[in-house]
Amino acid sequence: MTPVQLSFNTAFTLGLMGVTFHRAHLLSALLCLEGMMLSLYMGLSLWPMQLESTTYMTTPLLLLAFSACEAGAGLALMVATSRTHGTDHLQNLNLLQC
Amino acid sequence: MSPYVTMILISSLGLGTTITFTSSSWLMAWMGLEINTLAITPLMVKQHHPRATEATTKYFLTQATASGLLLFATLNNAWMTGEWNTMELSNNLSAPMITMALALKMGVAPMHFWLPEVLQGLPLLTGLILSTWQKLAPFTLLYMTSHELNTTTMTILGLTSTIIGGLGGLNQTQLRKVLAYSSIAHLGWMVIIIQYSKTLALLNLLLYITMTSTAFLTLMTLSATKINTLSTKWATTPIATMTAMLALLALGGLPPLTGFMPKWLILQELTKQNLPALATLMALSALLSLFFYLRMCHTMTLTISPNTNNNMITWRKKPGQKALPLAMLSIMTLMALPTTPTMVAIMN
Repeated sequence: MTPVQLSFNTAFTLGLMGVTFHRAHLLSALLCLEGMMLSLYMGLSLWPMQLESTTYMTTPLLLLAFSACEAGAGLALMVATSRTHGTDHLQNLNLLQC
Repeated sequence: MSPYVTMILISSLGLGTTITFTSSSWLMAWMGLEINTLAITPLMVKQHHPRATEATTKYFLTQATASGLLLFATLNNAWMTGEWNTMELSNNLSAPMITMALALKMGVAPMHFWLPEVLQGLPLLTGLILSTWQKLAPFTLLYMTSHELNTTTMTILGLTSTIIGGLGGLNQTQLRKVLAYSSIAHLGWMVIIIQYSKTLALLNLLLYITMTSTAFLTLMTLSATKINTLSTKWATTPIATMTAMLALLALGGLPPLTGFMPKWLILQELTKQNLPALATLMALSALLSLFFYLRMCHTMTLTISPNTNNNMITWRKKPGQKALPLAMLSIMTLMALPTTPTMVAIMN
């Protein structure tokens, strides 16, 4: 595994750990989700440079478009959550327990 | 919500699934899944009720994580092999990661923890779209790549799903959670057979969609969301109560009804593949699911509560309810067992 691959793998794994082990705020989960998407953007940009082909060089932009939409939707949901639940603390999201 | 917005969202849902169906590269498949997630989010949070926003937030987080994980695994695979076609997946670290990401998308155990709570927070129609339409796209990806995915992983996922789907539904009184656990159990059956016979997995998915749609639509007709509410529905709409009972027994897999078809064919295929112990375990775990379906049928049709229960008997039914989809789906759910050879031949 090249150092480039290791760095983007590590960045993604750290973001994923941040999403799964979020502790207090919904915003931190959304931030780590954005971190994951950013590391995927880096990976998608560096991959065609390694292959030295130009076919896949526009794919990072497509990923960026979709991840921006997703980030917007996530933030809108956070605003909706803070309007109905009062805060964005994840412990407050307990209305639907078994 | 304005009908224009609803139309845009529903066509985006259709578009997302279609993009995933017709994708040959993993980027298009990922985009279709993202479009599906983004399109259903406003539909879920249409009514700004605390339960709805909580369900939508949980759904959004899990689905976004799953999509990111899928893209990461396929990017790793592309980096290692230079190939980004969905049918060419080499069995390195990426294949189990893709399995886990798709399992998180669909709600297969052990990545099922979001499904009961999310379904509980939604109205029944949105829950129907979530349980049926949103399973099509990830299942298609599983179908296209199942010949390269790890057999042990798939078997463990399938078996755990059926057992957890059976055990988890036993303690539920809220009907949407019962249907969520039934979804988990059915997905377990599909996942376990997809590596041996893709035809049967597809047949199981289609029949599951039919039966779950019937169950959700009858519950919408009865407007019942708890087992308590079901107990008084015999007085208001006896035909719908009877249909609901038969639909639930079909979900449980009892013989003259359609739900027997996938279970029978899957057990036969597992036996042919020389896995009798696995077949026995699957059949026994189906009994657990059957218990909670039977409990619902029991409260609906076999008992009349002797004491006053805390539901008012509605004495006037709303006229003008659209019944054609429910009629067609319930005929498919209850009477399609004799068409087994035709179904298998169609899916082949």
